Amino acid sequence: MKRKKSFHIFFLLVMTSLLSVLNACKHNDLIVTKENENFRPAADFIKNNYDLSLFAAAIEKSGLTAELNAEGSFTVLVPDNAAFNAIGIKRATDFDRMNSDSLKHLVRRHVLTQRLLFQDIPTNGIDIRYHTLAGTEVYCSLASYSKGNSAYPVNELYFNGSFVNRKDITLSNGALHVLNRVMKSSPGNTVQSFLAKSTQYSIFVSGLKKFGLWDQLAEGGPFTVYAPSNQEFENAGLTEAMIAGLDPSLYYAQRLFGVYILKKRHLFISDFRVLSVVNESESNFNIPLENDSWYIGINSTKSFPGNVFSYAISVTTAKDYPYDQISNVSSSLQSGIDIVVENGLVHDLQGILVLPTQALKQN
Amino acid sequence: MLALKIKYLGFCGLTLLLLVSGCKKINYAKIDDPAYLRVFNNLNYEIGIINKDEPIPFLTMLIDPVMDGKGIPVSAAIKGDYLDQRDPYAPPYPSHIGNGSSVNNPEYPGRQNVLVGPVVNGFDLSSWAQIPSGKHRVVFMFRPKNAIPFFSLEDKYKKSVLIDTSLVLDSKEVYTLHVLQKDVATKENGILLRKENFHKLSLSDSEVYVNFYNMSSKGFWQTDNATKTGNGKNFDKGALANGIKDQMNIFYTLYKGAPELKTAVAGYDRKLMAALTRNTSTVEVSPYYSFPLFADGDSNGITTDMWQRFELLAPGMDINNIPYNFNTQDNDNSWAPINCVLNGKTKLPNDNGATLPNMVVNIHSGIYNPRSFATVNTIEIVNGNVYLTTVQRKYAPPVY
Repeated sequence: MKRKKSFHIFFLLVMTSLLSVLNACKHNDLIVTKENENFRPAADFIKNNYDLSLFAAAIEKSGLTAELNAEGSFTVLVPDNAAFNAIGIKRATDFDRMNSDSLKHLVRRHVLTQRLLFQDIPTNGIDIRYHTLAGTEVYCSLASYSKGNSAYPVNELYFNGSFVNRKDITLSNGALHVLNRVMKSSPGNTVQSFLAKSTQYSIFVSGLKKFGLWDQLAEGGPFTVYAPSNQEFENAGLTEAMIAGLDPSLYYAQRLFGVYILKKRHLFISDFRVLSVVNESESNFNIPLENDSWYIGINSTKSFPGNVFSYAISVTTAKDYPYDQISNVSSSLQSGIDIVVENGLVHDLQGILVLPTQALKQN
Repeated sequence: MLALKIKYLGFCGLTLLLLVSGCKKINYAKIDDPAYLRVFNNLNYEIGIINKDEPIPFLTMLIDPVMDGKGIPVSAAIKGDYLDQRDPYAPPYPSHIGNGSSVNNPEYPGRQNVLVGPVVNGFDLSSWAQIPSGKHRVVFMFRPKNAIPFFSLEDKYKKSVLIDTSLVLDSKEVYTLHVLQKDVATKENGILLRKENFHKLSLSDSEVYVNFYNMSSKGFWQTDNATKTGNGKNFDKGALANGIKDQMNIFYTLYKGAPELKTAVAGYDRKLMAALTRNTSTVEVSPYYSFPLFADGDSNGITTDMWQRFELLAPGMDINNIPYNFNTQDNDNSWAPINCVLNGKTKLPNDNGATLPNMVVNIHSGIYNPRSFATVNTIEIVNGNVYLTTVQRKYAPPVY
């Protein structure tokens, strides 16, 4: 009994000494990293960023501030100021010239209806579609890495062909990516109605009509159309009156005007880059003209630094050498490329590919 | 007294716990009257500028699916998800399950944890899944390439049907099911169900057997080489990358030693083996051809370093006088060698052959390390790719 008692006392002693030893240790104040509570909602973040001030102005003018500061989640694809400058918007007042509905639409189709971080996008995904607030869809492509080369990631992200300069900015109601080009689209228009509305392509349109290539552009598609402006036709000495005076039976229609239309293709300028990374192939695309022996070759280049895209189209009389090169036209007009319409894409082409004399039937 | 009571209570409690936890009903999964099924996704096209809008060849197989009112599948009796493009080699043992962290499955059952086939007539069917025999509705769906299970995908991704058909599987039969593109111009996709017969044939275990199929799409070899996926980028695929003609003859040579075209086994040099015709519609099993496991007279009858070279040659051409260079891929689709050497990763120097693993399995068995075993093989050519499926008998475990 006595032994038991002494054991109890001993045990108590040990415990108290242990406690005092532990207490004697220095306790630094434990700092738990607090979650940042200062993330801003979308509209506020954009407003407070000098490089995004034009998009902020667009939000404000279209009255969408409250909508974008709401609960969410959103992903805002914000073109930076340089991107707006490229389409002729240099200062906030320039938005006043725009129709308020189309401005609202422009902002809304830059906002996805979900929080989309870089890690959520499938590796090497091509044309993954996401919904926007405008009810449209954007095509997202991610060039992650070449096959078997995951140790050297490229990780270039594109929305509707626009390069993402800066990924994954956290917002309290979603995420934000910065684009280096405004995503252009013409909702409700087919390739045909878009071209018909765009007065700068009137000579091109009259040529398509004259050579029986016009009607198809209202249908299914998808089409990728490279459209030269009136200025380019006139530079080459072709006026509307001259086109009207051509006799279609004397010319190869496919060569003269069919050369600007890719059927069953939906190609952003950036796709050549994305697919050359993914497939580790050349970023060149050769395709025969429909019912013709001529070939067109298309490729695109991304500038460094700046990540600005330009593209070039060449027309050759055969696929492999020996051939004659009819033309080689390169284009870099940022405001004219990757225009999304309902049944395809329209790109502005800064040059004429085939002159009437080159498309003349020989006999 | 109190202590005794506590002890007694504790003992009772423990016994009760033991009794309760000891009772567990285990339901062993069992399929009555199974058929054995192995599924390959042969859609080996690559998404490029030319076919950017074609669906990614990444599939889900649904057997006996339940559809909702809108025709969207909501569940299925058997689901083979994440069915990726097949691997060049389908080994005789289930090598995918528990191996790797990806969900992508190069074949069914592959990585799936399902009941697999037994050993039938000596052949190990553990790479075949058990499926209840009878008539089944089989649906293959295209799906996006991610790790989300099929039924958890958004509805809009559950609408792209590759094929929706019915198959009849007989009890205790061995099937391979191939998803393939039948026409390169129309992009028509389809499936091919083949009832294998290797387990019913009287095959010798001292002969290596092989049969051939050309399941290429109609018109693949005629298309422009530049538009063929894999062309030019990957010399490892050899001359076969551009496809072969619809009619070809197959010659074989047995080599021994290092992977180079040096020492052919006497009597097995460029021998005619078979004729091969492109076929994506009938499901007949091609005849098996054979060569001896120990063809090399110098071998000790236990192990051999022999490997195989098959040369596909257009009819009318002379195997001894091939008018093409050894390191070109551009040979008019008339000559394409296939080397089955080592583990299929070592390419022959200065050669345009495709490379596959050796058909002879060398492994530690009994007291011999290694010991060589004969196998039963199937070589399938699909467009610019070649696939080897090897089936093997059970062998004695190693003795250390």
